[in-house]
Amino acid sequence: MKPKTPRRRVLRPSSVAALACGVALLGLSACGGGDAASGGGESSSAGTDKLKVLRLPMRTDGPKSLDPVRSSTQYENRAVVQIAETLLGYKYLVEPPELEPLLLAKMPEISDDGLTWNFELQKGIRFHDDVCFPNGKGRELIASDVFYSWKRMADPQYLGKSWWVVKDTIVGFDAYKAEQTERVNAGKKFDYEAPVAGMKLLDDQRFQLVLTSPIQRWAWIMAMPQLVIIPREAVEHYGSGFDRNLIGTGPFRLEKWEQGKSLTLVRNPNYREVYYPEERSSGVDAKFDAGRGKRLPLVDRVEITMFPEDQPMWLQFEAGKIDYTQIPAEYFPEVVDKRSHKIRPAYRQRGIEYAPVPLLDFIFRGFNMDDPVIGGYTPERRALRQALACAMDWDEINDTFYNGTPILYDGMVPPGLDGHPKDHKGPVSYRPVNVERARGLLAKAGFPDGKGLPTIDLYINRGGNSPEQAEMIQRHLAKIGVDLSVKQMDFSQLIASIDNKKAQMFSFAWGSDYPDAENNLALFYGPNESPGSNHYNYKNPQFDRMYEQLLSMVAGSERTAHIEKMRDMVMEDCPFVGSQARTREYAIHPWLLNFKPNENFYNWIKYLDVDASKRTQS
Amino acid sequence: MWIYILRRVLYNLPVFLGIILFLMAALRVKDPIPGMLGKFPEPEDYARMEKALGLDQPFLVQYASFLADIVTLDFDQESYDKPGLQAGEIVKDAIPPTMAITVPALMLSTLISVCVALISAFYRGRLPDRLLVFLAVIGMSVSFVVYIIIGQYFGAYRLNELLGPGNGLFAIEGFDTSEPGWWVHYCLLPVLISVIVSMGYDTRFYRAVMVEESGKDYIVTAQAKGASKKKIMFVHMLKNAMIPIITRVMITLPFLITGSFLLEMYFNIPGMGNNLIRAINANDFPVIQAFGAIFAAFFIVTNILTDVAYALVDPRVRLS
Repeated sequence: MKPKTPRRRVLRPSSVAALACGVALLGLSACGGGDAASGGGESSSAGTDKLKVLRLPMRTDGPKSLDPVRSSTQYENRAVVQIAETLLGYKYLVEPPELEPLLLAKMPEISDDGLTWNFELQKGIRFHDDVCFPNGKGRELIASDVFYSWKRMADPQYLGKSWWVVKDTIVGFDAYKAEQTERVNAGKKFDYEAPVAGMKLLDDQRFQLVLTSPIQRWAWIMAMPQLVIIPREAVEHYGSGFDRNLIGTGPFRLEKWEQGKSLTLVRNPNYREVYYPEERSSGVDAKFDAGRGKRLPLVDRVEITMFPEDQPMWLQFEAGKIDYTQIPAEYFPEVVDKRSHKIRPAYRQRGIEYAPVPLLDFIFRGFNMDDPVIGGYTPERRALRQALACAMDWDEINDTFYNGTPILYDGMVPPGLDGHPKDHKGPVSYRPVNVERARGLLAKAGFPDGKGLPTIDLYINRGGNSPEQAEMIQRHLAKIGVDLSVKQMDFSQLIASIDNKKAQMFSFAWGSDYPDAENNLALFYGPNESPGSNHYNYKNPQFDRMYEQLLSMVAGSERTAHIEKMRDMVMEDCPFVGSQARTREYAIHPWLLNFKPNENFYNWIKYLDVDASKRTQS
Repeated sequence: MWIYILRRVLYNLPVFLGIILFLMAALRVKDPIPGMLGKFPEPEDYARMEKALGLDQPFLVQYASFLADIVTLDFDQESYDKPGLQAGEIVKDAIPPTMAITVPALMLSTLISVCVALISAFYRGRLPDRLLVFLAVIGMSVSFVVYIIIGQYFGAYRLNELLGPGNGLFAIEGFDTSEPGWWVHYCLLPVLISVIVSMGYDTRFYRAVMVEESGKDYIVTAQAKGASKKKIMFVHMLKNAMIPIITRVMITLPFLITGSFLLEMYFNIPGMGNNLIRAINANDFPVIQAFGAIFAAFFIVTNILTDVAYALVDPRVRLS
């Protein structure tokens, strides 16, 4: 085919160059013609200059869903609790953690047998104004909203991830879920009006729950983000879009959410009269009293930016575009002196504060107690596991991979909780590394210098630096003649290998759902064996009995002693090697006020304030 | 020409269907459901999730259903990773940010690389040529991530610090088209980084093309006829070098819509690369499939257009 002349002309070299230049220049002028400096990376837009604006980071691509029953990650929880609220909340300035009424008028009244809980909601709490309500005006929160919100966890249409939170807790709730699921499977609608034996509405403000057993943890669970209260109107109005249009009673309303990029919250004008807390533990710095007497929330707008990569987050912090940041590992030595764990002068002079926050972490290497080689409860098998524990150098792992910041401790109870050993050192301990002791234990186990011991398989997630850590452990164990084979896999495969009891030894971690040792001790409760949370398949009838007693024990020295006894019992059997609790390292600009970083709960944004003049000066 | 195009489209149809088949089969090697169930799932949750995602259907039914989506250009399946959003919406929203980077980057890098290659060929064997080749090799040898990290640090953070508060020329990260001057603020730095990265490869390629052309008989003839060096290079040589230039540019075109996930991740640009890598990490089948189908179609179309473009620039090429 003969090409047409005009087209040939179009492609003459000089024309191509001219066209390319022209389009590029046009693009530049059309797109960039405005005043770039006025954008300047400042996220404030017209009309918001006089408002108090917080600019906060989220170190990931952020939430995937804002529907409480579909939320499961801490990032989703962080977003949800700014918008919707739970019945109980955490006291901001009190350590160790304590609960207080949030939507409730007072703490629940619990019957002597611990089974019946009576609740009373505060009067006059209104949902956010939204088109889902008549005339767009948020209506008052009533007791039936609580039951509706919780019943959604049982509704199969939402493919919820949070049923485990309430399972086996409220009388009749599990049966209700089963019945309703059957209805839905039969093509009928989920019936939210159907009664649950243990959920009784007394009036618009008051309701009663009857628990299946006197479970003290229920109070903590009621403060979990999955149990926030939402209005039925919003769910019905937005349908599947409710994931992105969460409505609640919280201090902030959702203004805009660009998934993976940013989330903007604005002050809820309907927010009830709540003031900055007066109560402060003696161990908490008095500077946090500065907010006393002020009505919450203290800022008008919260702009949260997602950072899937660390460098831009750190540079935005350095540039003063975000108010605090987590310190990325690669910048940590530049900011904090690793020996003294104090912020370096260059940052201190700028007024930047360093705040390390220990997580409720339990990071360990677990053993499958059902395994024919490494499991079992005979003195020899116990000695074998103890030998491996003594040979592992956690200090080296900590320094090499984590800048030495995580806390190493004995047992499964994370720092800050009742039952955590004093100075992180328990009466039963396999730290620090002791190769001679390990060799002795190995000989006691019948494998002197590892002779006769088959290769042990360590199952790990292939992400992060797990493979390198596993290599280090291989080296540690080789010193006592133990051969370790590392099996790397995706996290889902790792879970499957643990759940089907195939993994002989595995690297794993547990983040506590609530700040009570009971949550971690449940990991060793026999009936929770795999595929439940007892990944070690640890079975000790005495421990199980003590765990059942613990469920109904109220906080106090007796309960603490009980926990310590359980902790040491497990440590003797050694179903895991550990433990490690990471710390989140925060760097905070001087203009961010009242910021006491916390990883146990997330609705603390309402307490934060900003000194705009300091920010401008910087 | 139209018959030729139609014939090529029909020839490529089985290829396209094969790509989709392979993509869908490859995705399903890994079960995405366990990662979606959350903590302590109930035994029936797996089946319910499988049904909700349509993964309980036989593979061929899923394949046919997706082909129907392609035919209607309606990728209406809900994203696994972004509940409440359809795969088509995600792709549609991701294309403009990506193209705001890739289109100017391609234009600039091609333009500059061809010019540099011409200069290099002009001084072939002499110091300027050797210097340019040396720089091109250096440019090729440095990782893209290094360019991004250094570019972001010096180009955005340090430069802004130098210019003083409120005078940020380039954003450290972000993408907001509602701001005046948004393109310069958010896109120009990633574009420049992208241009620098591709210049090493492009310059070496185009230089080789120019050098090859410069040894051909028609150049000697032109010189014998007394044509100026400038005219020989920019009229005769450049015109005849268009075939390899077009080939390279056309090969690059499909990648205009995929973007660079590294650039987009570091600069927090909600483009195709960013979304695609997130979808892959989350086993978000609907989004990966939609991306895959669009990319495959675009690739095939550009292949056909490349052949058409050959015929347009070179009268010796016949479409038959």
